[in-house]
Amino acid sequence: MVQLNNGITLFFSLLVEALPFLLLGVLFSSVLLLFVDEQKLLALVPRNAVLAALVGSLIGFMFPVCECGNIPVARRLLMKGAPTAVAIGYLLAAPTVNPIVFWATWVAFRDQPEIVFLRVLFTLVVAITVAVIFSTQKDMRPFVQESLARIMGEPDPPAVHNQPENGKADPLAAETSPLLQSGSYLMQSSGQVLQLSAPPAKTLAIVAEASQPLSYRLRMMVDNMVLEMRELGAVLIIGSAIAAFVQVAIPREVVLGLGQGPVTSIVAMMALAWVVSICSTVDSFFALSFASTFTSGALLAFLVFGPMIDLKNISLLLTVFKGRAILYLFALAAQLTFLLCLVMNFYVL
Amino acid sequence: MTSFSSPRRIRRRRLPWQAIIDCLVLLLWGLVLVRFAVTGKLFLLLHPDYMWLSNLAAVMLLGLGLIRAFQIWRSLVSPQGLGGVRSEEHIALLPRQISTGLLLAMAIFGLTYTPRPFTSETAFQRGITDVLGQTRSRPERFVLSGAPEDRTIVDWIRTLNVYPEPDAYAEQPVKVSGFVVHMPAWPEGTFMISRFVLTCCAADAYPVGLPVQLPSGETMPEPDAWLEVTGMMQTGTLDGQRQLIIGSPELTAIPEPRNPYEY
Repeated sequence: MVQLNNGITLFFSLLVEALPFLLLGVLFSSVLLLFVDEQKLLALVPRNAVLAALVGSLIGFMFPVCECGNIPVARRLLMKGAPTAVAIGYLLAAPTVNPIVFWATWVAFRDQPEIVFLRVLFTLVVAITVAVIFSTQKDMRPFVQESLARIMGEPDPPAVHNQPENGKADPLAAETSPLLQSGSYLMQSSGQVLQLSAPPAKTLAIVAEASQPLSYRLRMMVDNMVLEMRELGAVLIIGSAIAAFVQVAIPREVVLGLGQGPVTSIVAMMALAWVVSICSTVDSFFALSFASTFTSGALLAFLVFGPMIDLKNISLLLTVFKGRAILYLFALAAQLTFLLCLVMNFYVL
Repeated sequence: MTSFSSPRRIRRRRLPWQAIIDCLVLLLWGLVLVRFAVTGKLFLLLHPDYMWLSNLAAVMLLGLGLIRAFQIWRSLVSPQGLGGVRSEEHIALLPRQISTGLLLAMAIFGLTYTPRPFTSETAFQRGITDVLGQTRSRPERFVLSGAPEDRTIVDWIRTLNVYPEPDAYAEQPVKVSGFVVHMPAWPEGTFMISRFVLTCCAADAYPVGLPVQLPSGETMPEPDAWLEVTGMMQTGTLDGQRQLIIGSPELTAIPEPRNPYEY
């Protein structure tokens, strides 16, 4: 009974500490969804793969959204013709390298500032490396979902006379001129065409660019906040419950035995990061509850790897990439994180 | 909005249930945070430095809930309805009904449940034996605070961290308050007076304590009882280690403090 009480107190403690950060994250992502034009941003991106990967990884400072919000943004970036390095860099780094997550991590690990800074550093290293590796693949379309590949083929703004791709192109990708497709259209400003049956993300991206009345945008913003709150809040509840349960119910010797080995602790925390799809704005509080029992390298592995790929992300990622590409992403990110954290466990702390 | 429809028209329209429940969830969660703040139970959950964040969250949740309520009301009286809530941008892990149900249930639970401070059970789970005489924080600046009898338990432990020789503190007066932990390996008549230390929230609370040696024949206080201990520091051997022990103690029972942690 005492343990149950402790567990519930712990559960509410995690929730109450994490909720403000979740709300701020949701607020920012909703504001950005409707008020920021990625197109103008993309015009500034350098063409060099490494630089582009760096820029992509740092876009999170302007688009501070956690992993639940960043996949739709990455998809929009790809749709608008962003270099692969930018999109991948953004996809992997943005949930961690942004002011809200940095602040939340600082609040949780005030006593161990090295965790806060190494989290950012390791994330950048992993994200840039994976982004550069992916950008050696010139044509990304075999790796992304067909609906997205179709859109990606277009130059921006869409050319009316579509050039046939060099033979190897997806037959669907060739059919890119919007006015040659069937369906209903709305003519937008600057010669753009909005196909009413287009995928929702595309419709939204174009609609968001067109100037909507402020009241409409505000309503959409509230809608989006409520929606994200509902989805992410529920995941947060489950994550907090698991963290509280592990702390209260599993004997200390077992947790310590797992958490003190330099290798086992990292593997255990990476597995946990994959299963517990907790939002990156609040995952530092989850990790904090393991701070006394797990090695620092393991905590870092959780904090770096968790926002990149977890169970929830796979369903989200499948809206952008095909399974094979996700597997590559997953394997590369996992190996790099593991190596970096292992080096840290053995040589740094 | 120039004209409002009649009540009869309201009844004819299908109620937007999902929006109403979302609104309810937001308002209830706002109330949960308000309740914790008003009853002082927030002290059990958070470091005081971060309470403003929780209060901010309460204001945001209530505000968002009220905006939603206003939108629902508007939709009921306007001919256009609420309009679709876009959900295409997000692919959720959980089905909508489950996430809504979970949030609603936990909000109601939060409104009825009163958090309890941690007890000696948790102190064992968090390894009170491992951290005796250790604090996790490594302060860059350390100022010894005033008279020895003004030091709290965590002040004593931090002082010991900086200069760990027990003999340096012998014969100093001590007056600390905390809860009783019976250490299984210690001899009869010796217990630990302890407190949890918080850096962020209850998730990282870790126990610290000082041993108390009762004069022979005196009965041990119950575990988890809150006491104020006044006495004189002396040195002795416990767990095969020379340690600082509170000797000739005077025990006064105190009510459980509103804020049981030290920082």
